[in-house]
Amino acid sequence: MPEGSAALQLQVGDRVVYPNQGVCRVAAIDVKEVAGQSLTFVTMRREEDGAVVMVPQGKIISIGVRKVASPADVEEIYAFLRSDSDKADLDWKQRARTNLDRMTQGGILGLAEVVKGLQVLSELRPLPTKERELYDNARHLLVSEVAAALGTAEANAEDSIDIVLFPPGKERPKRTAAEFARPVGDEDDMDLDGDLIGLEGGELDLPSDEEPASESEEESSEEGGEEEEGGEEEGGEDAPKKRGRPPKAKPAEGAEPAAPKKRGRPPKPKPEVVEGAEPAAPKKRGRPPKARPPEGAAPAEPAAPKKRGRPPKAKPPEDE
Amino acid sequence: MIRVVTLDPFDDKQLAKFNRTLYTAFGVGSEHSGTAEIPAGMSEPLDAEKLLEEVKGIRAYKDDKVLLLTSRKLKDRDLPSGKAPTSGFAKYGKDRAILSIAPFKDLEKDFKPIARHALHQLGTLWELHHCLDPRCSMYPPWTPSFNQGDHIFCTFCREKSEQKIRLAKS
Repeated sequence: MPEGSAALQLQVGDRVVYPNQGVCRVAAIDVKEVAGQSLTFVTMRREEDGAVVMVPQGKIISIGVRKVASPADVEEIYAFLRSDSDKADLDWKQRARTNLDRMTQGGILGLAEVVKGLQVLSELRPLPTKERELYDNARHLLVSEVAAALGTAEANAEDSIDIVLFPPGKERPKRTAAEFARPVGDEDDMDLDGDLIGLEGGELDLPSDEEPASESEEESSEEGGEEEEGGEEEGGEDAPKKRGRPPKAKPAEGAEPAAPKKRGRPPKPKPEVVEGAEPAAPKKRGRPPKARPPEGAAPAEPAAPKKRGRPPKAKPPEDE
Repeated sequence: MIRVVTLDPFDDKQLAKFNRTLYTAFGVGSEHSGTAEIPAGMSEPLDAEKLLEEVKGIRAYKDDKVLLLTSRKLKDRDLPSGKAPTSGFAKYGKDRAILSIAPFKDLEKDFKPIARHALHQLGTLWELHHCLDPRCSMYPPWTPSFNQGDHIFCTFCREKSEQKIRLAKS
């Protein structure tokens, strides 16, 4: 949840920050009927160009709308920008994800983190186009919010930020990749879901449910289902329901263990071999050979080759 | 259109060269549009912000950008994070900027750094922010290497300024 938005009480005339859009002023709060429901809408007007946006009041917090930072917050931003703590991630994918989160939900500190991180990264190598654009957007939003917080011109707000980032009389340092290296064990978990993190070697095997059930198995499973129903009746309602396939019955002691199941189509039954009978010749593929003329018969003239195209028109008899 | 208005006397040839440089950089016409007087009661070093608001006698159209050129010193600005060395000042996205050549010898000898500063102030008028590239004219002007560079923009700033100018024209 964005900072400062836990209890956001807006009034007409308040200055707020709409994430990724900039400083807006609340123009109106009114109730409108939409699809039979009456909803309270907050109308905000962007100060930069006068663009208007209407947001249902219930969505204000989830969108991340917050009040403009205070001068004390801006002092913290200067202190943060002065520090040499924030190093951007060298993994571009991770960096892009982090920066996106910071832009939308990080508040003014998030904007400063994006600016600082990309500025430090540019001391190592030039920024690619997309990140250069992101840097410019973040800088623009940060400058406009600082200007709104301090009640000063944007040019002064930008210079006050850049005096910290580019101190007068000093050149920017050249960075090396070693400075951006993270200590071992400090690597992030890549924001994977808990399910994926919890997976370990043995659990990655495919579950037995993936095997295609043969007809006999389906029958038995149907029977098993009936048995389950009966079992539930026997067990009563107190027994917790187990999801998924019931555990297979263990073979009785002493019995031979069942052969492991084979996957795929079951093999065709082999024809029974009758003793003394010749084995059937293997089937030949392709077109059957043409029947040869019987030996001794006069060799027939070879047929004239077929002519392609339209057959010639029948000539009219000349006698008529 | 860029209109250069002088607050002090300058050589016409140098001004013509200066205007040609601005035309090359932005692709819009640039001309010397006369002189203006510093408001009474303002003494050196001049308060740039106040001067921009109070100077009178400038004739320009709505889309024009006016660059005031002076040989007098400008006062450094006190900002919440420190003191900003000020050789020029422009309000972001507005139509007036001021540039002082006091830190330099004259327009002829130090033409390159002055032109670079002029590009920086006019870039601010066209809503360009400070740039990360030390070769670009939008790099913060108080850095030691700023005066050594050429009067050019980086690719990003040039494209952005062209886009803003196109929007202003349409």
